[in-house]
Amino acid sequence: MSSFSRSAQQWATFARSWFLIDARMQPPGKIASMCSVRLQGKHKPIYHALSDCGDHVVVINSKQIAFSGNKWEQKVYSSHTGYPGGFKQVTAAQLHHKDPKAIVRLAVYGMLPKNLHRRTMMQRLHIFPDDELPEDIRANLTEELPQPREVPRKLSEYTQEEIDAFPWLWTP
Amino acid sequence: MTARGTPSRFLRSVLQNGVGRYVCQLKRISIIFSKNAQSSLGVREFIEEGVVDYARKNPGTVVYVSPQTCRIPKIVAEYLNGNVREEIITSKTSPQISELLTKLTNQSGLENIRIRKPFHTDSPSIQGQWHPFTNRPLSVGPIRPQKQEAE
Repeated sequence: MSSFSRSAQQWATFARSWFLIDARMQPPGKIASMCSVRLQGKHKPIYHALSDCGDHVVVINSKQIAFSGNKWEQKVYSSHTGYPGGFKQVTAAQLHHKDPKAIVRLAVYGMLPKNLHRRTMMQRLHIFPDDELPEDIRANLTEELPQPREVPRKLSEYTQEEIDAFPWLWTP
Repeated sequence: MTARGTPSRFLRSVLQNGVGRYVCQLKRISIIFSKNAQSSLGVREFIEEGVVDYARKNPGTVVYVSPQTCRIPKIVAEYLNGNVREEIITSKTSPQISELLTKLTNQSGLENIRIRKPFHTDSPSIQGQWHPFTNRPLSVGPIRPQKQEAE
């Protein structure tokens, strides 16, 4: 690359980039596995566990995540306050209603390695419930990652030709 | 003593010296020699031929030439970070001293200790080092400008 001098290029090697992930209609686990790779820096050829080379990840639309199956009702998030009788259990739907960022945050937190770097890496994760981003974060973004799952369309979003071309088994 | 017990550091330069411009880290150099001792013969020769050229070539370095009654001539080099190095130049010839001065000038003043991870290659990459934008599709302008305009 001629645009960098050799020593400035070394700075570029260790620069942090900012990734954007749109979580609209995406499974939180797949979002979290993409995030945890980037937060640890494992997508880089220069990765080393001690060199603190993780990137920043910005997750938008975390309010619009989609669980499969009946995880909204069945998946249980447990915590303990530390007091006697302080064991709390909430379903995913209740937790999501209370804090739309919590499910993605907990999923990423669980996928990061359990060591002293975990809190540091979590600080590089920025979750936003909708697609409003502060100006300083939007200015830093370098790449938008492709969504792991194709967003399904509603019936109202199909054109009339596509509905007509759909193979019907019987005429209702 | 084992290698792990000796002091060590990672390879670095002072304040990223040389990324933008290079600042010579050698602040002051004093050449201490004797006017008549036999061991200072090469130094006297160097002072006659080379020291003015050296001082002219390195305007950032102060050069002191101090004749003293001493048997062991030496060069005292002081660096911008406060480190002082003394080099004994007993019975060295003029080209040897000139070579030593060049070495002292090019050094950063950090102490010479074991380097951790002394990675080195004789055949550096032609493509250049990896950086976050290698093999990444080009994009113009900030990410997601359309969405923000639509709102």
